[in-house]
Amino acid sequence: MTDQTPVQIHRQMQRRKQFTGFPFYLKLALLMLFIAVPFLFPAFKSVDLALNVIIFSVLVASFDLLLGYTGILSFGHVMFFGIGAYSVAMLTGKYGDATYANLGLGFMIAIGITLLVALLISFLSLRVKAIFFAMVTLAIAEFAIIFATKASEFTGGEDGILISTFGVFKRSFSLGEFLGRDINGKMITYYFILAICVVLFLLMMRFIESPLGRVMQAIRDNEPRAEAIGYKTFVFKMISICFGCLIATILGALYVMWTGYANPESVLGTPIMVDVLLMVIIGGMGTLYGGIAGAAFVLIAYTFLPDLQKIAASLFPGIPFLHALMERWHLILGILFILVVLFFPKGIVGSIREYVTRRKVTKVAGAN
Amino acid sequence: MAETFLKKWGKQLSIAIFILLFLLPLTKMGFKTYLTLTIAGCAMGMMLFLIASGLSVIFGLMDVINFAHGACFAFGAYAGFSTFNALQAWVDANSWFLNFAAFMCAILAAVAVGLVIGVLLERFVVRYVYGSHLFQILITFGASVVLVEFIKIIWSPNDEVMAVPLTFQGNWDVFDVIILRYPIITIFLGLIVYGIIQTVLKKTKVGKIVRAGVEDAEMVQAMGHNIFLIFTGVFAVGVAFAAMGGLTISIWSRSVYPDMGGWYLIFAFIVVIIGGLGSITGSLVGALIVGLAYNYVAYVVPWAAAGVNILIMVIILLIRPTGLFAAGK
Repeated sequence: MTDQTPVQIHRQMQRRKQFTGFPFYLKLALLMLFIAVPFLFPAFKSVDLALNVIIFSVLVASFDLLLGYTGILSFGHVMFFGIGAYSVAMLTGKYGDATYANLGLGFMIAIGITLLVALLISFLSLRVKAIFFAMVTLAIAEFAIIFATKASEFTGGEDGILISTFGVFKRSFSLGEFLGRDINGKMITYYFILAICVVLFLLMMRFIESPLGRVMQAIRDNEPRAEAIGYKTFVFKMISICFGCLIATILGALYVMWTGYANPESVLGTPIMVDVLLMVIIGGMGTLYGGIAGAAFVLIAYTFLPDLQKIAASLFPGIPFLHALMERWHLILGILFILVVLFFPKGIVGSIREYVTRRKVTKVAGAN
Repeated sequence: MAETFLKKWGKQLSIAIFILLFLLPLTKMGFKTYLTLTIAGCAMGMMLFLIASGLSVIFGLMDVINFAHGACFAFGAYAGFSTFNALQAWVDANSWFLNFAAFMCAILAAVAVGLVIGVLLERFVVRYVYGSHLFQILITFGASVVLVEFIKIIWSPNDEVMAVPLTFQGNWDVFDVIILRYPIITIFLGLIVYGIIQTVLKKTKVGKIVRAGVEDAEMVQAMGHNIFLIFTGVFAVGVAFAAMGGLTISIWSRSVYPDMGGWYLIFAFIVVIIGGLGSITGSLVGALIVGLAYNYVAYVVPWAAAGVNILIMVIILLIRPTGLFAAGK
């Protein structure tokens, strides 16, 4: 038997440890938690929060695919999210009846547009320095927002498009009772979205572990070297961008299925981009699970911030400046963002992984 | 054969095509409208030049991408807003002298605020991320969010109306052509700033050091100059220019709002991509192109105005990705 390459040995070890050990059970527990949320916390606010966490964690993971695994910073990610949302909204709300066929068509058209735009953008801006990609995507994303707002005949302008749920996803549709909760259309939508998100996440993980994913990490670590070894970095970067943006589009389409409306501010706006960046940095660049950690952290913080303000107000009643500061929680998040980038660049999951690896190394070294 | 022809005459040919393109709108509108639009376009170009030149020089010298430039621009506008509020009497007076005095005070205020913010930004935020473009972008992006929030705290999160000095409003009627006053003032201001920059860079010792630093920062350090002091200085000056640009644009659009930085930052990026990162003449030419194109197209096809600039950027990226001018010119 021929000698195995180090990569093959590494992959074999990984495959053996895949389904055992603490991390696997943690991931399984997380999945169980998401499945159980509609039964454990049936209030709409909690289910909504859980769904936002699910969608945003996959969105952040797809952004991390570009940023942490290929080293490309793209400000246009939310634009693709918006393209998916608008396509489905337009086909099932504005220009067609709400049917399954139109839903499927909406997905297809969204994917088509995304591929076109992603190919165009990457073709134009990857030929120059990587920083140009960030600037170009920022400009094009801003233009997309303006287009969505100004071309109100076509896209519904600032008010956006409302869609009504239909078929199995209709709110009034009911499958009967199960474990004491009514299985209505909303729950079915929740599980549908959860299932697709899990599939997308597993797809991304498979993508990372594949040889293609390894080349991408090589490009991130040392692009001139990857090019010198013989990989056409341009093609690989283009593939990675298209893949990441495709996932963002599908997520946008799913998001609009849940919320029922799509307007420039809720699916295309800059605040969402800032949120995604924040989640990526806090969760950890270069780790897919960082997406889940970052999304959970930021979204839960947003939900409990009003309560924090009340606590701050009651603790420090006479200092209005502090009130002003707490109200401007974007300021606090911005400062947190800078601090995390400076001192904590690996984020939550990254630091945990590094800590665990370091302990393993010291254990081995200590044993010697 | 075509290749050698292009190589020999390529530059002149492209300049000729450019001039032709910019004379094209004459077919769609009268000469007088064309003149008004040209002046407005040049004015907008000058304002964009102010904000883009800072960005360009900071990248040329320090290899730092500053995404917080837009927020600094907004700070300058707000500083000018406060100055005008404080000097309300001078602003409303119908005297050239007083209006200009108020304008000068506002410029000084904007420049001062810009310098302070520039130094603070450079020392406490940018210094730690030299060398990695990705982290620079991330960190200056975060800094811009923080700065905008500070604007919302210090002033207010709402749009504010910016006062315009009385004699700046209105227009002159020259041979039946309406020439707005404020754009002419801006054009002169922009040309003066460009002149100052070129003089400082080409005729003074500090300018020589900065130009040498753009080419090879390590060597300048080896020669005994404190390159980090120069970095801080150039960063601060670049930010000060952006603040000045913010002031001029806020008077032009008569309003200030906290997020104005983001919109104009994108224009600044387009200008810098067209003109070339690191080149001041490039920013001037790029800004003029963007300003003129925006105004012509806004008159003829209103909704495509922003899009045409993106189109120009795309064309430049296709045929000459490094921009029109090389770094350091």
